[in-house]
Amino acid sequence: MIEARGLSKRYGDKLAVDDVSFTVRPGVVTGFLGPNGAGKSTTMRLVMGLDRPTAGTVTVNGRPYADHARPLAEVGALLEAKAVHPGRTARRHLQALAATHAIPDSRVDEVIDLTGLTDVARKRVGGFSLGMGQRLGIAAALLGDPRTLILDEPVNGLDPEGVLWVRHLARRLAAEGRTVFLSSHLMSEVAQTADHVLVIGRGRILADTSVAELLDDAARRRVRVRTPQPTALAEALRRAGAQVTASEDGGLDVAGTEAARIGELAAAEGFVLHELTPVSSTLEDAYLSLTSDAVEYHAEEVS
Amino acid sequence: MTATAASPAAPTSQVPVRPVSFVGALRAEWIKFRSLRSTVWTVLITALLMVGFALMMASLLNTASTEPEMQEGMSSDPGLQALGLTGTTAVTLGYSFAQLAVAVLAALTVTNEYSTGMIRATFSAVPHRLPALWAKLVVVVVATVVVISLALGVAVLVTMPILDSAGLPVDLSDADQVRALVGCVLYLATVAAFSLAVGALLRHTAGAIFTLVALFFVLPIIFQIVVSASDAVWAEWVNKLLPSVAGERIISTGVTPPTLLEPWVGYGVLAGYTVALLVAAGVAWRRRDA
Repeated sequence: MIEARGLSKRYGDKLAVDDVSFTVRPGVVTGFLGPNGAGKSTTMRLVMGLDRPTAGTVTVNGRPYADHARPLAEVGALLEAKAVHPGRTARRHLQALAATHAIPDSRVDEVIDLTGLTDVARKRVGGFSLGMGQRLGIAAALLGDPRTLILDEPVNGLDPEGVLWVRHLARRLAAEGRTVFLSSHLMSEVAQTADHVLVIGRGRILADTSVAELLDDAARRRVRVRTPQPTALAEALRRAGAQVTASEDGGLDVAGTEAARIGELAAAEGFVLHELTPVSSTLEDAYLSLTSDAVEYHAEEVS
Repeated sequence: MTATAASPAAPTSQVPVRPVSFVGALRAEWIKFRSLRSTVWTVLITALLMVGFALMMASLLNTASTEPEMQEGMSSDPGLQALGLTGTTAVTLGYSFAQLAVAVLAALTVTNEYSTGMIRATFSAVPHRLPALWAKLVVVVVATVVVISLALGVAVLVTMPILDSAGLPVDLSDADQVRALVGCVLYLATVAAFSLAVGALLRHTAGAIFTLVALFFVLPIIFQIVVSASDAVWAEWVNKLLPSVAGERIISTGVTPPTLLEPWVGYGVLAGYTVALLVAAGVAWRRRDA
């Protein structure tokens, strides 16, 4: 369980996290979704007590992270790939972390096996690929068999097999009753792994909802309408408060109202409809519409 | 007894995890220290340099003992006079090079962690942070004491026949020589603590090494020139209060000239700087974002 209340973090004149409150519950995978620079990593560092909040509080399993007697048994975190000295072997790195909590070597070897690093455990980390670095970070997070896992962009740099492995691992850990908080800038990744999602943009929480609801919202958003009298219908729909855009093939894209309402309005005003289709926009569309105002760096429109 | 399945709401761990402790942090830092090849190499080279310089100086003294001109030249050199011309001087001479290795090694144990991102793993494992800093301090200081003591022991043994023939044996009944031998270990251990604190304050490898080289090597040379060229009182004071100039007085067996501090006073000045820097480093270590 992670609970943030009014959490803010300012770096110089930049507000990286802006008065954020949320709860991450145990037993489900919670996705933390947002564009790069939205404040995901900063929020996770605040949870781990690596950065001090400018305002607000955040607790893990009921207390600030540093106040736990056995921090590694409470929270395991993968904060960035390769937070490791390249000259040390993977096993030595894990042994050093384990030593702080007197975790035995048998557990070190266990997490090495679990993350598929057995063959490279005695090699120096400097030669590791990004994917192997991620696996080592996950191995470190699992050392203390923690009740809460915080994984910052865990699938970054992993091959397809590794991505699947992380997904299954996250789901299994959540099914065991643990809290799993996993960030990504890819909606599709979160949709396939998480049950619940927090969307963050420019340091603010934009949505705190289940993945299913986010999908429903996305699906309900637009309706395609075709009619012989597009201009007049568009006018009528606008009067009723909908947003209407003409699509290239002569149809209308209607947002802000539902298909049933459009049909009723057309019947009442005597319009002929050739098509009335609720369009499920893709997840990426839903995500983009949520965060479009909150993207830190926009690419120039290519036309 | 049948094992009951853990309820999903409260997973019970089979992994033995003890509360984070200073002893744990100490073991962690010891593993980190010895698991880097660069550390092992630096330590070995430092020890070899200590012994090598001792042999070189002993041979020089031996040659000088048969050549009156050379002997005269050495005994009229003010630097050598302040250092003292005893067997102990020869045995400890390598300290001036060893201090560079010790300083860099100590600073790197901290700055390495910042440059690689390891510091975030360290702070996640020891979230109160200070135990990790003091553990690093203990590891670096103890390692320095052990390595330098061993190197000095070997240096005493291998130079014994040469120094005997030069008529300058290491004399352990001479309080000054004993103080210089112990002082050599003490000085380098203190340089290690000083450098670790500088590393923790500056966090960047290049910045820390630049600062340490400037403090321990460049400024003493510049001020030696300034002091010998002018009789400015302020320059004399700055010079004698420089960390290395003050601290290394404890390794001398000669007569203290008026431009320098007495051995224990000098060492006290270095120790004072070190404590102040460690306190500042501890405060910064706890407070700063990682």
